[in-house]
Amino acid sequence: MLKGHLDMIVLAALAAGPAHGYAVIERIRHKSGQAFDLPEGTIYPALHRLEQAALLSSRWVTAESGRRRRVYALTRAGERALAERRAVWQQFSDAIGGLLQGARPRRKPA
Amino acid sequence: MIHDYLDTLARALSFDPSLSQRVRREVEDHLLDAVAADPARDRREAERQAVAHFGEPHAIAAEFARVAVARQARSLAAAIVVMVFVVFIAMKARVAWYAATQWTMAEDMRPAAKIVLLVDRYAFWTAVILAIAGFAYMVGRRVVPASHRARAGHLRHVSLLCAIAAAALAVSVVSDGLLTAFQLRGALSWAESLIPISSMALEVACIGVLAWQIRAIARRAACARALENRCSL
Repeated sequence: MLKGHLDMIVLAALAAGPAHGYAVIERIRHKSGQAFDLPEGTIYPALHRLEQAALLSSRWVTAESGRRRRVYALTRAGERALAERRAVWQQFSDAIGGLLQGARPRRKPA
Repeated sequence: MIHDYLDTLARALSFDPSLSQRVRREVEDHLLDAVAADPARDRREAERQAVAHFGEPHAIAAEFARVAVARQARSLAAAIVVMVFVVFIAMKARVAWYAATQWTMAEDMRPAAKIVLLVDRYAFWTAVILAIAGFAYMVGRRVVPASHRARAGHLRHVSLLCAIAAAALAVSVVSDGLLTAFQLRGALSWAESLIPISSMALEVACIGVLAWQIRAIARRAACARALENRCSL
């Protein structure tokens, strides 16, 4: 289930600012309250795929340790894609919430 | 242990040396971060944990291979549009040269040329329509689907459109070659034939580039399938 939302999760993790792969995983763990403990290797193909779709950009930087690392950042298109996915998710979440509580959803889900 | 893991991952991606090198450097950085963050004092145990959390190297390589195939398909879709345009310019240049030099085709070649010209036109416009359709499909679906099934369907559609467009363009170029041969029959000098032969060489080069790209995609797709099969065993 989580894999189907991996793109949105990665985009959301990068909304806070540019980060390298390890930091993206740490952000996902931290922001989800340790609920999302993804297999770490799955993040990198997703980062490459989103970069290929021009939703992310990346560049090599030299860290304080002297190591070269690839840092990813949201592009304008990535910000727009994240906003769209947030809106769809909110509608879906409202609808499911309404159903589970026995109330009518506020809006029609997409 | 980390180096063994990186070697396995890089070897699995050796069909694309630049991707293999980039992935190796990124994953190495990740694993060293993970080891540094591990509270265990035993470095060997920390490395073992880091590698275990990262996942099976062939499964990860398979994911990267699928992304690489999608990237190659995208560049093929763009290349076909460019090549169709280049072939069109080459054809127009040749026709303009014949008009400028008032060079007419020999009478006995005209009936055959009429048939070849018809094939040429249909093949070329088929290539134009399919190349634009393939490119529009790629642009419309910028994000390659995350699910394996949806991604396979997406790539199948793009590959089919690109393959038929490339085949149609190849037929058009072969027809152009025949028409040029008919036209050049009885040419007086090399200087006269220079523009027609150069434009034909350009068209053949375009087809060569497309054939090379299609071969590269087929190779990467085969590598991705082999990695997937290895993981599912």
